Amino acid sequence: MNEGILLRDPTAETASALRPRVEPLDTLQGRTVALMDIGKMRGDEFIDRLEILCRERGIATRRYKKPTNTRVAPREMILDIAARCQAVIIALSDCGSCTSCSTHDLNDLDKRGLTGVSVLTTEFEQAFEAQKATIGLDAASVYVSHPMQNKTTAELHRSADLAFDAILQAITAEADLTPRSEAA
Amino acid sequence: MNTHVRQGDQLVIFVKHGCETCQMLEDVVGRIAGAVPTRVYTQDDPGFPSSVAAIDDTSLEQSFAFDIEAVPTLVRLKDGQEVARTFGWHRGDWQDMTGLGDLGTDLPAMRPGCGSKSREPGVHDVLRARYGRVDVQSRPIQLGAWDDEFEATYDRGWSDGLPVVPPTDARILRMLDGTSRKANEVIGEVPPNLSPITVEKVAINAVMAGCRPEYMPVVLAALEAALDPLFTMHGLLCTTCFSGPIVVVNGPIAREIGMNSGINCLGQGNRANATIGRALQLIIRNVGGGRPGELDRAVLGGPGKYTFCFAEDESDPTWQPLAVARGVAAGKNAVTLFQGDGIQGFLDQRSRTPEELTKSLAMSLLAVGHYKLCEFTNAMLVLVPEHYAIFRDAGWDRARITAELHRAMIRPGADVIQGAHGVGEGIAVSRRNEMVNKFWPEGLLIVQAGGQAGLFSAICAGWTGGRFRTESQPVTREIVL
Repeated sequence: MNEGILLRDPTAETASALRPRVEPLDTLQGRTVALMDIGKMRGDEFIDRLEILCRERGIATRRYKKPTNTRVAPREMILDIAARCQAVIIALSDCGSCTSCSTHDLNDLDKRGLTGVSVLTTEFEQAFEAQKATIGLDAASVYVSHPMQNKTTAELHRSADLAFDAILQAITAEADLTPRSEAA
Repeated sequence: MNTHVRQGDQLVIFVKHGCETCQMLEDVVGRIAGAVPTRVYTQDDPGFPSSVAAIDDTSLEQSFAFDIEAVPTLVRLKDGQEVARTFGWHRGDWQDMTGLGDLGTDLPAMRPGCGSKSREPGVHDVLRARYGRVDVQSRPIQLGAWDDEFEATYDRGWSDGLPVVPPTDARILRMLDGTSRKANEVIGEVPPNLSPITVEKVAINAVMAGCRPEYMPVVLAALEAALDPLFTMHGLLCTTCFSGPIVVVNGPIAREIGMNSGINCLGQGNRANATIGRALQLIIRNVGGGRPGELDRAVLGGPGKYTFCFAEDESDPTWQPLAVARGVAAGKNAVTLFQGDGIQGFLDQRSRTPEELTKSLAMSLLAVGHYKLCEFTNAMLVLVPEHYAIFRDAGWDRARITAELHRAMIRPGADVIQGAHGVGEGIAVSRRNEMVNKFWPEGLLIVQAGGQAGLFSAICAGWTGGRFRTESQPVTREIVL
């Protein structure tokens, strides 16, 4: 990422330069989690699996899909998520523009009081860290293996399975997230 | 100037096309470059002078490095070190420094040059930040090339809600030029987090507030007053009340930096008034950590918490300025910080005598905080010129006005005790048989300010911390330039 203007911190510098993100929810019971598809190809298959995994745990979800991964989410979508949901999972960023735009979406929703996490591919960890720094938000992320575009649907679902616990831990402090069927 | 070009010597010439003297020397520069190892730097036009292949210095990096103040400038280097310099056209100097005794004999003997582009207003500070030794210690925050710096300041929580000026090194260095105090000097500990603050942090927040460098001494004095334990800034910030620091500036500096003490001086429109008060609030927010909803617990707050700063009108010699009344020598610069709310208008267009006006003012002053509360808050009365004229024409000065107002506000305790007249609020029932003052004797501050027309003075209610008479008081601090 090219460097822009350099500012100086006006604070006492007792805290991180990054703004703390909204704390994870105590529980997901009775809450609704927004599943934001950033609009990138294959992301819907990954989110399909997240939706199933949430349902298995009794977590209410609401699906959203951005018209394009190359821009930030439409204002109406952000407002709707903020009004109807209490947490957001944004997936799946595997390019530079979607990493940048989705981090801005995460920041926008954080400022509206939603705890959230962005799911990206490992190749974009550095880009996400850079975008976090310039936005100034200590945003949460979970990484899945890169590349994803050449994966089969089964492989994408497997990625979602592997990442799911980490994703939930980013948005809730709830200790027991065992699927209902297993818990029974 | 006894100099001769020797082996290993090199000449450096700085010119700009926009300078007529430089244009006059176009052939001279070519002649020099043809005879002596010479570097010619051009500040504004890479094609100038046409007589030589000049080095493009439109970035002004070399002009800054050589600390060029005027063009043309001729510098002689020996083994890379400067040994001689002249600027403007002085034929003898140029002949001596170049060793060309017949140089420019067809030109006037002397002609002054022009200012260097590197010294144009604001440019030097940018060059200093870009190419100089930057000694700013605060944590760097690097934005991305596509980031909006104004949004970035919001995202980081540095703003009071209005846009702030992004604190770049050039702006910070320029702000630090406004004070003789060292950037690393610690001013005190800012509540509520009691974080140490340096002059540099003051400068950064002053930049963000929109201050000019010449406001810095006032901002620093205001901060020092706010950090005086007697001012109880900690409680004032965290309070559920409306209050914040009201800054009154006295002395010649108020006029020198263009502060408003006249029409609309408590309102918008004057940069110094607006930004000095705002700088103090941004310091409390950013360095102290005093953010609304966190430790700033004001139930309603008030618009004065963005900024509330004005100058006293000292143009009437019969009026003793506030700072003088509070112990500062006449003619000195000072700030007084008062813990106060927004304004309550006082409308009286009928009173013609000082006695009438005193009674009338007392009626409105009694409403401060609550009509039945006494010795519970202080108050600031901003007396406009037309109201003051009624007192002045009768020979009443500050001391007389203050004393008469206090006297007019003394009431029987039975009228203002809790429960009296069917109102629960009031003073302790035990004071039923006392005659009660509204304010402590030192608790009514009078400032004269405002436009010349309008019989509308203002009352600023004080903070409830004022009930602790010896613990929480307004503070006056001399401004050190």
